[in-house]
Amino acid sequence: MSVFELQINAQTYTVDADESMPLLWVLRDLLGLTGTKFGCGKGLCGSCAVLVNDEAERSCTMPVSEAAGKSITTIEGLSEDASHPVQVAWVEERVSQCGYCQPGQIMNAVALLKKNPNPSDDDISKAMGDTLCRCGTYQRIRAAIHRAAQEV
Amino acid sequence: MEKEITRRDVLKLAAATGGSLLFAIFLDGCASSLEETATLPAITPTVQTPFEWEPNLYVRLDHQGSLTVMAFRSEMGQGIRTALAMLVADELDVEWNSVKIEQAPADSRYGNQLTGGSQSVSSYYDTMRQAGAAIRQMLVSAAANAWSVDPAQCRTEAGFVIHPDGTQKSAYGNLIEAASKLEVPRKAQWKERSQFQIIGTSRGHWDAPFIATGKAIYGLDVRLPGMLFATMMRCPVFGGKLVSYDDSAALAVPGVRQVVQIGHKIAVAAENSWAAIRGRNALTVQWDEGRNSSLDSEAMLANEVNDLPAIGSRPNLLQAVYVMPYEAHATMEPMNCTVYAHDDFCEVWAPTQTPQEVQASVASVMGISQKNVTVNVTLIGGGFGRRLQVDYAVEAAQVAQAVGAPVQVLWTRDDDLQHDFYQDYAVHYVNVPLGEVVRPRISTRRGPGSVPTGAWRSVDNFPEAYARECFIDEMAASLNRDPLDVRLELYSDRAANVIKLAAEKAGWGTDLPSGWGRGLAYHATFGVTHVAHVAEVSVKEDGTIRVERVVCAVDCGRVVNPDNVAAQMEGGIAFGLTAALKAQVTIKNGRVEQANFDDYPLLRIDEMPKVEVYIVESDERPSGIGEMGVPPIAPAVANAVFAATGKRVRHIPIRPQDLTG
Repeated sequence: MSVFELQINAQTYTVDADESMPLLWVLRDLLGLTGTKFGCGKGLCGSCAVLVNDEAERSCTMPVSEAAGKSITTIEGLSEDASHPVQVAWVEERVSQCGYCQPGQIMNAVALLKKNPNPSDDDISKAMGDTLCRCGTYQRIRAAIHRAAQEV
Repeated sequence: MEKEITRRDVLKLAAATGGSLLFAIFLDGCASSLEETATLPAITPTVQTPFEWEPNLYVRLDHQGSLTVMAFRSEMGQGIRTALAMLVADELDVEWNSVKIEQAPADSRYGNQLTGGSQSVSSYYDTMRQAGAAIRQMLVSAAANAWSVDPAQCRTEAGFVIHPDGTQKSAYGNLIEAASKLEVPRKAQWKERSQFQIIGTSRGHWDAPFIATGKAIYGLDVRLPGMLFATMMRCPVFGGKLVSYDDSAALAVPGVRQVVQIGHKIAVAAENSWAAIRGRNALTVQWDEGRNSSLDSEAMLANEVNDLPAIGSRPNLLQAVYVMPYEAHATMEPMNCTVYAHDDFCEVWAPTQTPQEVQASVASVMGISQKNVTVNVTLIGGGFGRRLQVDYAVEAAQVAQAVGAPVQVLWTRDDDLQHDFYQDYAVHYVNVPLGEVVRPRISTRRGPGSVPTGAWRSVDNFPEAYARECFIDEMAASLNRDPLDVRLELYSDRAANVIKLAAEKAGWGTDLPSGWGRGLAYHATFGVTHVAHVAEVSVKEDGTIRVERVVCAVDCGRVVNPDNVAAQMEGGIAFGLTAALKAQVTIKNGRVEQANFDDYPLLRIDEMPKVEVYIVESDERPSGIGEMGVPPIAPAVANAVFAATGKRVRHIPIRPQDLTG
């Protein structure tokens, strides 16, 4: 066990964790930030996506030791009241069904828009291709990203 | 004031009263931020109310006139919480933005709470409207009494009763105390369809803002003071037995607290999920794999086909055999359940489609009274029928009892895919007399009982629709006729109507680029909701299939939330396309071979077709939408592939190698 200092949503947290523990479980089980979801544990579905230094990363495969010292943003850090442009677009386009994968979808979309403020359909397919939704909300995810692009 | 209540206080309170903790968890997670925001509906009462009125099981009104609807069916993305609340809110005449929703625990007063078969709206359409209409009538009577006017001359609008003079008005919140003393009308006057202001309008999901902020609480998000996290080791072969195990390495993993045997499974309870997963991986286990250790799904299916009449053996018949494999539910939220067992009480937090069955089964396995088991229903991260089973809740109760602490049992993805209750395989033998246009005769063979099977979104409708609708196209091809014309000869009324609508909107009969094809299929899931899909596919030289566009026509009777009907059709199409083109469950040496999304691949965003949904205007009773988009998509795609390539594929998933060579 080691002590790590983490910068999450502009706050500093100190955790005592095994250095191999993925960031996902630090967030969910040690810090109670349950908005970030467990889906596959192998970086295959994207439900656990968070921003690390503004890049979308799979928190289920990123050891806490690697996350320490970097700027981490989770779904809880976008806004308290769903006012972030991507969250607004998600609600307006009525994207979510069961909703479980949506925090990961949203964080991936935020990362995409940070790099590419006006993505084409192809850009969206490339950036979002490995982020799975069993409910099949993809058409609306695409629409919400286009909508958010106009607002960002 | 609620903000000052700690989880521990609420836990004590809940333990003492057997009350619901889920409420407390929502409160803890959400109250601080939601009270100030106008765009989000608050989900807890903000102050201690002097008087709250619960005129019936479904509705609560507070002194501010704020409506809370109790959702007594489970939400897994199909939109039922929103739909139930819309029905009440419209008849009661309150503003939609002011409505709150609470999830009811298992409670026999609600009747059967099983959420399945796409039946919640059709079963409760009248009940929920009547619940709203009765309260509205009582509020009007209370106001009319106070004003000494004829209640028939009063009207209601957005939470107010309006005086016959058109200027005075009285807020619902000021009337509830007087209204509560009146008799509940047995049959209240409800609205004409033309008077609806909420029913029939698109409202999105009530939970959407909570989902978009990460505040929505699924099963895995339940957190209790002092809770442990557990994983389970299960025999990889169905029905195998535990012989012995060595837990010394598991117990040496930092954070692992206890290893306990639960029947033929082993639970590893730890301080966090990661330690529980590592601990489980460190177990050494000897299994007696038993008589299922040689199960092989490929051989099982081949045997089924060998037992059928050979194709071509009956020259007077047009014959075909269609083979559908095992499928997994693969919900994005894997199975899980959280349980706190203490004394003779048990509190369960379960993402379940059947809370009452959880209550009965947990009580039975723990040997306590059902009334001592509280089952709180969380949001469900995908159900599709998997959460009609109670296995994951029962074992969590057993683990909680064994470890003596609140515990959350987490299934990893391989647990979830390898210990599912699968969509059974189906082998269909289909025939018609050669040269005739008649409904195909279908005989079906399903798998042996040694593989656990259960309901999977649309159940038998999925393989049946594939066999029948593909065969209708084979029949049309054998007669050199247009599959649309043949269907219009076989189907009538509402069925023919959606077929014609989908074909028209899709431009049936118009030209497509070379290598493209268009396919049509129709199905009425459970015989009630009529859906026709036209799929447009392109097939490349290497056999790569791309579904470019799907046009859907749906007749589900009266519509409560039209955009949600469209969403469920889009989602049903995506769910069906995963099975039609990508994923299947295979069994080798008694084990499911798939373990994660790399070998059970779900449809991706770049594979999602453009979907257009057309809803038939109808005054028939509502008939359900959750499952109905699934069955016709696989045959529509197979028929489109045939149109594009001339190749008839009689199994799923349809893969590039089926179309080359």
